[in-house]
This record gives sequence, structure tokens and C-alpha cells, in this order.
Amino acid sequence: MALCKGPRTRLPVGASALGFFVLGWLYIFPVYRLPDQKAIVQGVLLQQGRAWRRNLTAAAGFRKLLEDCCDPAQFFAMTKQNSPVGKNLWFDGEFLYSFTIDNETFSLFPKATPFQLPLKKCSVVGNGGILKRSGCGRQIDQADFVMRCNLPPLSRQYSRDVGSKTQLVTANPSIIQKRFQNLLWSRKAFVDSVKVYNQSYIYMPAFSMKGGTEPSLRVYYTLADIGAKQTVIFANPNFLRDTGKFWKSKGIHAKRLSTGLFLVSAALGLCEEVTIYGFWPFSMDLHGKFISHHYYDNVLPDSGFHAMPEEFLQLWFLHKNGVLRMQLERCEDDPLSHSAA
Amino acid sequence: MGYSDPTSSRDLLGNRSLLFIFICAFAVVTLLQQILYGRNYLKSGLQFSWQSGEEMANWTGSLNFTDGGALRSGADPGTRYFEFYEGPFDYNSTKCLELRQDIIEVKVLSMVKQTELFERWRNLQICKWEMNVTEAKLFKSTLSRCCNAPAFLFTTQKNTPLGTKLKYEVDSSGIFHINQETFRMFPKDMPYYRSQFKKCAVVGNGGILKNSRCGQEINRADFVFRCNLPPLSEKYTADVGIKTDIVTVNPSIITERFHKLEKWRKPFYDVLQAYENASVLLPAFYNTRNTDVSVRVKYVLDDFESQQAVYYFHPQYLINVSRYWLNQGVRAKRVSTGLILVTAALELCEEVHLFGFWAFPMNPSGIFITHHYYDNVKPRPGFHAMPSEIFNFLHMHSKGILRVHTGTCS
Repeated sequence: MALCKGPRTRLPVGASALGFFVLGWLYIFPVYRLPDQKAIVQGVLLQQGRAWRRNLTAAAGFRKLLEDCCDPAQFFAMTKQNSPVGKNLWFDGEFLYSFTIDNETFSLFPKATPFQLPLKKCSVVGNGGILKRSGCGRQIDQADFVMRCNLPPLSRQYSRDVGSKTQLVTANPSIIQKRFQNLLWSRKAFVDSVKVYNQSYIYMPAFSMKGGTEPSLRVYYTLADIGAKQTVIFANPNFLRDTGKFWKSKGIHAKRLSTGLFLVSAALGLCEEVTIYGFWPFSMDLHGKFISHHYYDNVLPDSGFHAMPEEFLQLWFLHKNGVLRMQLERCEDDPLSHSAA
Repeated sequence: MGYSDPTSSRDLLGNRSLLFIFICAFAVVTLLQQILYGRNYLKSGLQFSWQSGEEMANWTGSLNFTDGGALRSGADPGTRYFEFYEGPFDYNSTKCLELRQDIIEVKVLSMVKQTELFERWRNLQICKWEMNVTEAKLFKSTLSRCCNAPAFLFTTQKNTPLGTKLKYEVDSSGIFHINQETFRMFPKDMPYYRSQFKKCAVVGNGGILKNSRCGQEINRADFVFRCNLPPLSEKYTADVGIKTDIVTVNPSIITERFHKLEKWRKPFYDVLQAYENASVLLPAFYNTRNTDVSVRVKYVLDDFESQQAVYYFHPQYLINVSRYWLNQGVRAKRVSTGLILVTAALELCEEVHLFGFWAFPMNPSGIFITHHYYDNVKPRPGFHAMPSEIFNFLHMHSKGILRVHTGTCS
């Protein structure tokens, strides 16, 4: 306001010229630029010919790294052990906003991380369109522990490609808000829609955003009221924040990591062998054919929130080093699943 | 006007004007006393100086004199019935006629002292109650003209078609557009018709029910209304019965006790289960705050696949009922649920019995009682006009339109 009023408070010409110069410089020589989508596909194709071998030492080393920074075995979920009543926790997706665990919330937590640790073979299933017509369902189901992201559809038409087994599925509070009216009205649709996950854990980032707490707790109440087979566990904001920092130090520039990367990090810490499926954030497959964004729809995400290509590069790097196995091709005529050493 | 003479305002609160004001005030107070406590007040004083000897028996029946000398034959029951009492008096016996007249004559609650009213009510208990068919018919026809419960008690698909702009009972809440989703929750048509049931019981929650042993009699009724999710646990069933056909739920209870059903829902469902197959009745369109909560009740019952039906009071019916009772002298922000249910029952049933409707701190014999039969939480003052409602019921009892039970049942 003051700027508009005063006639003599115009920005000096020199300063604005400097500003334009800097912007122009950054445009021509950006500080940081991702390789082109085509370049990444080329890089992946170069690697395709070679046989992949699990590198046990690298896997152990990486697990050690994760344990040091985030300790998934203990801090993966909110438990009575790691979050006693009265503990103050900071929301990891908000700026300076905390909450205190009260008696009512505390009673919803399990005693300790409810998995039989360590887990043997894990499959982490992303929702990338590359899974479509991949025929990987059987291979995914062969794992002991299958993790999925964001309540994906598992109807019969997809089961050949993505399998039907689930031990852990994440659910975003935003989905609850959009698809199930925040569970404020009829809850039957939600209860029916999670029946496909059978006896699994529903992993909810309840304490990441302010607005997500209520819907997440409501998911718990809903499933407990009706006596459903699924159990709700809540993500520990400390684990999420530490994992975020860990990857940031590895060079992922994004406001927030994707659920998939959180799950992969947790799996790398919890499981002995990790195979990931459907992590492919590009609009064409390895043969240059166009594919949809998800295997079930083609709704693109909001740009600028997640940095999927960067995350992919990191995972690809881990694949090359033999820490995890990334499945990108079709599975059917592929006996590779047994080649893991 | 007074501005022309500046000195005229000097005596505004001077001695003379003050004195005048006091005299006026005194006169007004005296006048009011005369009007309110009226004849009684003067007469009882008058009688003591005037009556002598044989007139002594008449001292409580002072109202006889106001009738212009139409002296009744019988002696006063209040003093005599202990001597001659053999069994309940017939409904149409002269004594009972007279006793009933005693109550009907009290036009306004403030006309007599509460104890006086209690005494007259207590005296009436020796008479058997019988329905006065002509009076009842007359009353019911008035109700059907004003309120018409068999068509308008609930919102139905028939009386509230899709797209209706339903007016809330509270004016400031505006209107509610009936959309597809809400419309689907309504029943096709009213599930009850006029005078469908022979004998109905409307059970209030008054503390007078405690130790009344009326449970069996309530259970014997063909149709039982209850208010505000009353507890029906084991220790109360002997007094209040178990049979329930309609139970009303106040949305404020859901808001307070069940977190608006936004969190856990099973506890609420479990509470409703206690009423077996009773329909749940909610004032969803009383004001905007009630609507969401009430609609949620329907969802809860559907989600749990319950057989219980959910109905909503039609706001226009509520408006009509309160307007009707306002004309009868029930002045309150809102008529109570009990009064609404009684009004509805009068149209849906032939014979209406009221249990637990007694909103005074003591029972007719003057013994203090709790406010509800299950707790002693007093309501918000100034919201309902319970005593006035009860007073109307006593009137209707005396006229033979309905029956109010205040004693113990055998």
C-alpha cells in the first residue's frame, strides 16, 4: 500500500535490471536439472540386458543406514511403546504445528509394531501404469508381505497384473475426504471397499497434516465399530520426517516424498528381500509406447508436490547396486524371480 | 410540551410525584392480586367471619359461592371420604362430577396455589376414569383440523416431494431443500392411520414413575411412545415397562453423548438396540443444527443393517402443534416432546394413557421426587413450560379426553 502511495518509492532501474539478469541466467543455466525422460528410458534400457543380482552386502549396508536415521522397526507406526500419553509430536507436513497424545488417541495404538520382524520377502506395489498387462500378479503374491499404496483397486480385472494379496495398504486422508465424504455420512461404501484387502493393516498418515487427523481416526472408528478384519495403524510423524530428511540428503528436492518411497524405505528396513513393482512415473514404457499414469486410471497428480522422476532415479540407483529389485518388464516368461541369490 | 416551563420538570421525582407513583403501584399490585388469587383470596377471608356452625363443612369448597348460589348437595369429599370411602367412585357419580368440576374450574394455573391444585387432583383419584366419548371426539376433531397427525406427523415422500423447500421450525434457520438423498430416507407414506390403535401409552420420564410399578400396565398398551432415549435397564423395567414402538431422540443428546456420531457409532447403535424394533423419531428440521445429526442416525442404522425405522417430525406439524397449545395457554419457547407425542397419540389412538407426566418437584401428596426417574438433572430454565403443560393434561383428564396416571399401579 505504502509503495503505491508514495510517488518516489519506485524501484531503482539498476535493481530491476539486476533481477532480470539473474532470472535470465537461471533460465539459461539452471542450477539443477533432471535428465530428460527419454534419457532416463535410454539409461534403463542400457541396463536391461545385464542380469540383476542381489548384493547382500549392499543391502545390509543400506539397511544399516536406514536403521541409523529412522529405525523403521521401532518407529514405523505409532505404538504405545514409542508414543506414550502426553508426548508432544510435531506434524511432519505442517510448519510448526504440534499435538499432544491424549488418552483417547493413545488407546487406539497397538502395543508395539505389529509385524513379525524381520520380514522375509516383500513386494512393494506402486500404482504406475506400467503394471497394466504386466502379468506380475502371481509373482507379487509369492512374497510374504505385500505393501500397496493409496487404497488401489484390486478387482478381478486387475488381479492378473497386480495380484490379490495385501498385508499393508496405505490410505491418504485426502482419499477419505474425496471419495467417502470424510466418513461423516454412510460408512458402508468405505467398509465394502476395503474388504478386498482382507486381513491387512491400513497405514494412515494421521499426523502429517492438521486436516488429516480427524479422517484418519474416523477410519479407525469405522472399522472397529463394524468389526472389520482390517486394522488401522497410524504413521509416526517422526519416522516420516526422518525418512524425508534422509532422502533429501540423497538429493531429492520435493516438498514431500511420495507414499511409495516411504513404503520402500520402510520395506528396506524391515525386509530381507525387497522387490518393487509399478514404480514408473513416465508417460511411455520401455518400448516407447504411451502408458497411463496409474494402472487403473490416468489422473495426473498435482505438479510440484512430489518429485517422482528424482525418486525413480534414486530407486534405479539402488536397483543397479543390487539393494532392491525393480520389476519393469512383464513377468510371465520371466524365470528371473528365482534368480535372486 | 413541558419544555415551555422549565420549573415544571423540577418536581419530576419530588415528594408529590413519588407519593403518587407509590399509590399507583400499590393500587396495581392490589388489583393484580385480586385478579390472580382472586375470589379465593377474598372469600376465604370473608368466610371465616361470615360462616357459622352448619356451614363449616363447606370451607374448602369455597368455589361453590362463586357459582351464584347453585349449591351442590354432596358434602365436601376432602374431609369426608376418609370416613365413607369404600371403593372407587363411579365416573358419573355426582361426587366425581363435582370433583372434576373443581379442576376444570381452574382456568389458569396461577389462579390457585399449587398445593390447592394438588389437593383437588388427589381428591379426584378416588373416582374411576372413563373416556368421555363426546368430549374426546370433539377434541380430536379440533386436532385433526389444526395438526392432522395421520398425514403430517412425519416427513414422507407424499407430503414432502422431491425439491420441496422445507421450512425449518425455527424461522431463523431458513429453509432446507429436499434433495434426492434426503428424499430417499423418507417413508413412502405415513405408517399409521387415524385411530389405528385401541390403547396407547405415552411415557414421560418424570420422577413420579419411580417405584410406581406401572411397567406391566405400560406393556399392555397396544402402542407405546417414549421420549428422549430413556434408559430401560433391568432396574427400571418394573416401573416403566419395556415395550416401545416409537422413541424420540433429541439431537442434543447425540451431540453431547455421542460426539455427533462423527467418531464411534457402535455405542449409539447399542443404545438403540435396547428398544428392539421401535422406530426412532427425530426433530431433524427443527433448526439447522439438528439436520446433519439426525440424518446421520439413518445412516448409522442402515450401516448396521438394523430393522428400526427412522422418521423425522414434519416441521409444519410442530409449528401447528405449538400454535395450538399456545392458544391453550402453554407459553414457552418450545413445547416439550412429550406434549407433541401426546398430541399425536390423541389422533392415532382411541384411548391415550399418560405415564410419568408430572413436572413438579413433589408428587401430589407433597413428597419430593427427582426430576427424571433415572436422574435428577433439571432442564434449562425458561425453555419449556412443563407445569402449564401438565396442567392442561389434568384438565383433559377431568374432561375424559385422556388419562393421566400419577399414582402407583396395582
